[in-house]
Amino acid sequence: MSPDVSLLDLRLRRRLLIGYTIGMALYALVIVALYPEFKNTTSLNNLTKHGSTAAALFGVTGSLTSPSGWLNANLYQNFLPLIMLLITIGYGASCLAGQDEDGTLSLVTTVPIARRNILVQKVGTLALQAVVLAVVTMLCVVVGRGFDLTLPVSSLAGVSVGVALLGIDFGLLAIAVGSWTGSRGMALGITASVAAASFLLSSLAPVVAWVRPAKYASLFYWSIGNGQLDGGLTLASAAVLVTVGVGLLAVSIWAFRRLDLH
Amino acid sequence: MTAVITADGLTKTFGMNRGVDGLQFEVTKGEVFGFLGPNGSGKSTTIRLLLGLYHPTSGTSTVFGQDPMHNAPEILRQSGYLPGELALHPRLTGRQHIDFVAHARVMNDRTVQDALVERFNVILDRPTRTLSKGNRQKIGIVLAFMHRPDLLVLDEPTSGLDPLMQNEFQKLVRETVSVGRTVFLSSHELDEVQRIVDRVAIIKEGQLIVTDTVDGLRKAAPRTIEFRFPATVDSQRFASIPGVKVLDADAGHITLSLHGPVAPVLRAAADLDPIDVIARPADLDELFLTYYSDTPSDGSSTENPLPEKSNVP
Repeated sequence: MSPDVSLLDLRLRRRLLIGYTIGMALYALVIVALYPEFKNTTSLNNLTKHGSTAAALFGVTGSLTSPSGWLNANLYQNFLPLIMLLITIGYGASCLAGQDEDGTLSLVTTVPIARRNILVQKVGTLALQAVVLAVVTMLCVVVGRGFDLTLPVSSLAGVSVGVALLGIDFGLLAIAVGSWTGSRGMALGITASVAAASFLLSSLAPVVAWVRPAKYASLFYWSIGNGQLDGGLTLASAAVLVTVGVGLLAVSIWAFRRLDLH
Repeated sequence: MTAVITADGLTKTFGMNRGVDGLQFEVTKGEVFGFLGPNGSGKSTTIRLLLGLYHPTSGTSTVFGQDPMHNAPEILRQSGYLPGELALHPRLTGRQHIDFVAHARVMNDRTVQDALVERFNVILDRPTRTLSKGNRQKIGIVLAFMHRPDLLVLDEPTSGLDPLMQNEFQKLVRETVSVGRTVFLSSHELDEVQRIVDRVAIIKEGQLIVTDTVDGLRKAAPRTIEFRFPATVDSQRFASIPGVKVLDADAGHITLSLHGPVAPVLRAAADLDPIDVIARPADLDELFLTYYSDTPSDGSSTENPLPEKSNVP
């Protein structure tokens, strides 16, 4: 299978991807470099000591001055997933439904490439974007060892895999909705809504008792919301994220094969 | 003769909206088949069904004997398609589009592509957003023809081209069929269709209302006869003749549409000492307009119907 479709989409998104990645890297470096200024400011922990719901809404729970607490509060629980989902949901909604609405998808649907092959290549492009962002961010955090941010590389790698899988899963959801409806707006709207609900479930679960049982329905919980920055990504979490991704891929292939294209 | 395209009861609806209804036709190898109809009549829908882009609601079609729903890549391998509204990526150049398609089609021989680029003066190295509609259309022509497909499916192909390029395009189509390849040409440019097609199908509100050669349509169509008389005449003298319809009657000038033998009309006119007479066959645009004005969408004719034609070739 020649990756022509993947390469075409990467060329189309090159500037966007480079811009997001550089921005994310700069932000991560700033967060890392600021840690020595805050690591002894224990008063910061008062924000979350009594289970602040407001802090939890931003994904902030537990200690803020430990290395993992600092990175969770400023990067892995909020900003990185946000940028990751902007990239992957945006691409997922545009790569089939959006391009079909624009008419540009006909460039690939009128050459002899099977629809399943087109979709698989698009998912490959999605995964590559997610991996690049997660890896670049992780490398910037590894630099943090020089700023007293000492975390095991295995944990950083685990949470990076979790964030990448989170982005891929929501990108796949956008692809599936786009393939089902043929509408970029529906794909964006539905996926963004599901992502927002999923984020709230995971971030409020530690401080709101009645939300707690529902956290298992949140992809955020399985990717970043279960102490992955301290303990790495468990096999069970990875299995959930991969299983959801495979399921969404199967639905996307089925839906795209029955979609009327322009 | 080998059928390259067949459609049998091909129907597509979009919810409550009509697409195409019960299309039945064949396109044989080596012909230019014109698919004629105004905007919204179902031309592009038919093409998308034939290329496997749309799923039919009912009925079947084949291209090269293959079902577009199950073998679209195989059909697309042997086909070139120029869409009615060509959409190119605005930031990519023509060369990047052509390279993508050439690579996806595993084209090793680029001689035809290079010849087409030179022939149509295609601008290759500017982003397509900076090109005029005509220059973008030229890129579409290269994309459709460059792999020497056995079937060309062309939807409003000369849209935006200047007259010189339109002429060059028509030559290209003739060269294409002269070596045994087939062209399915959808258009509402009647003059263009008249010049290059072998057979024409006219589609109205999703239904085929006639399929025939252009000459066949002309022969079967009513002729127009104009008389000038020295004084006002009673148009009823002509209206009562079978096969005659009075199109216009003004003082000594009368215009008739005639389907059938001309002798009764000439005899009736001779009694009135005509000064002048003009008789001419219907042009394609007149035929087209006649079909559109006289044939209701349900297929039943009301007044002065055109001769009933078969919907099968």
